[in-house]
Amino acid sequence: MSAKSSAGRKNRAALLICAAAALAIAVLMCLPLVRFTTSVYTKRSANTFVGDEKYEAALAEAQAAKAEFEADGSEVTIEESVTERVNSKGETTSMVAFEVRQTVKRSGWDFLAAGFAPATVMRVLVLAVALSLVLALLGLRGTMDTLHRDLSGAAVNLRAAACVCGAAAILMAPVFSMVSTYTFSRQVGLIIGGNAVSGADALLERMDAFLYGGTAGERITDLLGGLSEQVTPVLLLMLLALCVLLGGLIVIWRGGLAKTLSRAGLYLFVIVVSVLILYPFYVMLITAFRSNAETTDMYFLHMLPTRWIWSNLKDIVDRGVLRFLLNSIMLSTGATVIAMLCGIPAAYAMARMNFKGKKIFLGFVIMSQMFSPVVLLVGISQLMNTLHLNDTIIGLMLINAAFNQAFAIWLLRGTFVSISPEMEQAACIDGCSTVGALVNILLPMAAPGIVTTLIFVFINSWNEYTISTVLISTPTNKPITVGITQFSSFNMIEWQYLFAAALLATIPVVILFMCIEKHLAAGLTSGGVKG
Amino acid sequence: MNSILVRHKWEPYVWLLPSILLMTIFVVFPIGIVFKLAFSEISKAGIVGGFVGLQNFKAAVSAPVFGTVMINTLVWVVSVVGLSTLIGFVIAMVLNQEFFGRKLARSIVVFPWATSLVIQASIWNYIIKFEYGNLNNVLLNMGIIKQAINWRATYQIEFMWECGVGIFVTIPFVTFCVLSGLQSIDAAYYEAATVDGATFWQKLFHVTIPLVRPSLTVSTVLNVIYVFNSFPIIYTITKGAPANKTDTLITYLYMLAFYDQQKGPATALSVIGFIILCIVAGAYMMISMRKEDEA
Repeated sequence: MSAKSSAGRKNRAALLICAAAALAIAVLMCLPLVRFTTSVYTKRSANTFVGDEKYEAALAEAQAAKAEFEADGSEVTIEESVTERVNSKGETTSMVAFEVRQTVKRSGWDFLAAGFAPATVMRVLVLAVALSLVLALLGLRGTMDTLHRDLSGAAVNLRAAACVCGAAAILMAPVFSMVSTYTFSRQVGLIIGGNAVSGADALLERMDAFLYGGTAGERITDLLGGLSEQVTPVLLLMLLALCVLLGGLIVIWRGGLAKTLSRAGLYLFVIVVSVLILYPFYVMLITAFRSNAETTDMYFLHMLPTRWIWSNLKDIVDRGVLRFLLNSIMLSTGATVIAMLCGIPAAYAMARMNFKGKKIFLGFVIMSQMFSPVVLLVGISQLMNTLHLNDTIIGLMLINAAFNQAFAIWLLRGTFVSISPEMEQAACIDGCSTVGALVNILLPMAAPGIVTTLIFVFINSWNEYTISTVLISTPTNKPITVGITQFSSFNMIEWQYLFAAALLATIPVVILFMCIEKHLAAGLTSGGVKG
Repeated sequence: MNSILVRHKWEPYVWLLPSILLMTIFVVFPIGIVFKLAFSEISKAGIVGGFVGLQNFKAAVSAPVFGTVMINTLVWVVSVVGLSTLIGFVIAMVLNQEFFGRKLARSIVVFPWATSLVIQASIWNYIIKFEYGNLNNVLLNMGIIKQAINWRATYQIEFMWECGVGIFVTIPFVTFCVLSGLQSIDAAYYEAATVDGATFWQKLFHVTIPLVRPSLTVSTVLNVIYVFNSFPIIYTITKGAPANKTDTLITYLYMLAFYDQQKGPATALSVIGFIILCIVAGAYMMISMRKEDEA
């Protein structure tokens, strides 16, 4: 009985919170959501000092203009700026400028009635909030005191649907901010810039009605030319209220506030981490398809390219990227094959045979894993010179294979150990050779582990950079990691080409990595960590 | 009995031979060459002369930037390994919870591991450009800043960014290792702890951390080695500029050997780096071998 009433108490509290949040949203909708500032009149006066005659005259002119614009009841300010300079003769000159600005504030309800894109977003927001409340009430009807686990499917579905509506409403707040900026800075900018935009007249008319009460008429393009818009912090408060609303709705759906909050915190953390991790890849993706001018534009204030330049891909192909990719494929495939041909027998011996010096070999393997080739760079380049493998892909293959031996043996041995040797033992007794037992029995069974190792070595070789920069000087022998640096020189970096090539180099390894991710975890723990 | 029949005593060694050959030629020989060169006189043109004792070492250590480079290396390794381990551990703890979309989140966090360091470093190099970098672009777009910020005003700040990028690219590996350790923990431990009334922190310090310590050790030691040897991040973002003030041992020795043609001091530095790695590797091997005995 007490459990029942506690469920009821939670539901009532949550409903109350939801109602309060909805009320807060309604109130916030009355406050100015966007502030539009139009520069309506500018008076400049040269050779003018503050307080002198010309100053007074200019001020009077600006004030007259202010009075004129104040007549229709809007808020008008005069901004005064004085520029003083000392000229070559040592005299001080001064210029005074008065800018008359008309500020119009528009609340959420104002937007609802207007007829352009941000208004639609606002309507969706209000509708979503209303709908979520209705759905929550329907979901609670007659089940206010019912425990969460005793609820009927229909009631749970209704409550879940309310949450979906609440989440949709939350999404609308940032969308509104983006769309209103887009409408004013881009769409309107295009019209004013003289571009032919379909529905331009209709949009101008709506803007006139919305911003200047239809009084602007012919002057509208001039006025919009001097317009700047700013989303006010009210929108942020609204977002907060929407989050509270969603929180309440989730409590109604799942029951329990602490659980809901910790869940919300968990998702927030995961989302923030994911966004941060994906951020550089987003930068790579969008920069790869921007024009050269846009990549180095200081004032490029868009989250996406204004025009996707797919021809960047064609340009880098013309500049030899396919050759680099081909080299990388050859290098990684070769290194993988060599590493496996040497690694599988060694891992097999380590997993299945007893012999003197096994521990020493294991120590040797672990030690060799410690040395990245970088610290041995000078020695490696000297060795390659002696072997006449300098500047060849074969040389790179061998180096990569050698430095990946340790991991390959490690992973493979782990896989082999985890497979019971009974089948092989039986085969050996039946007269099958050890090689036969390995090839016909163990390898097929160990296929997942082998594929994992294979891909792992492939990815490592694909991403290798330092040795390749040192060993390879002929451009046609460069692998992709070195090849992409040809797009960056000291005085100019062609970022769009650099990142387009980087994108091509990244996609294959990411796909391969996704294939082995699951197996790799098992391989590392069984083969590596536990020995 | 998990071994198979071996007909001849020498058979296992035949199986090991290709691997041993490969590693001897391409890992052991270069080590030998580096040691030989470090004690030899090398002309600017690369012609190797006779034995000169510790002369190359003296030249390397007495270079005015040597101290800066060593301090940079220390800061670089400690900050990158320390912070990425801490952050990676926290992320792994969170990703080990049951929640909707967990698999996707795991993939997102771990996949950067598979991408090339030189590419990631190039992207960050672009992101933090003052004039047109994407970070300023995004922050301006969101209205968080009003004016572009110079993210790389001094070389100290640039070095901090390099460490930051190092941490960023190392987190996926740590998360991956810790996560695979966490997933092998038997839930019964937690149930027992809960029954005994343990708090979150008690469970963390007395159940989770002891049980993931093997994974954590592996990832930390491997990271010390990877990060110590890491070359592309610093080479891409600052190339050690200005005047080797943002170099670590590895990038400095690269510059010495292949830009300044001072192979002698460069190989001496290689030997110093090699010895440092040997110490770390030795410690790691002792840990691994001990575990081998326990298993």
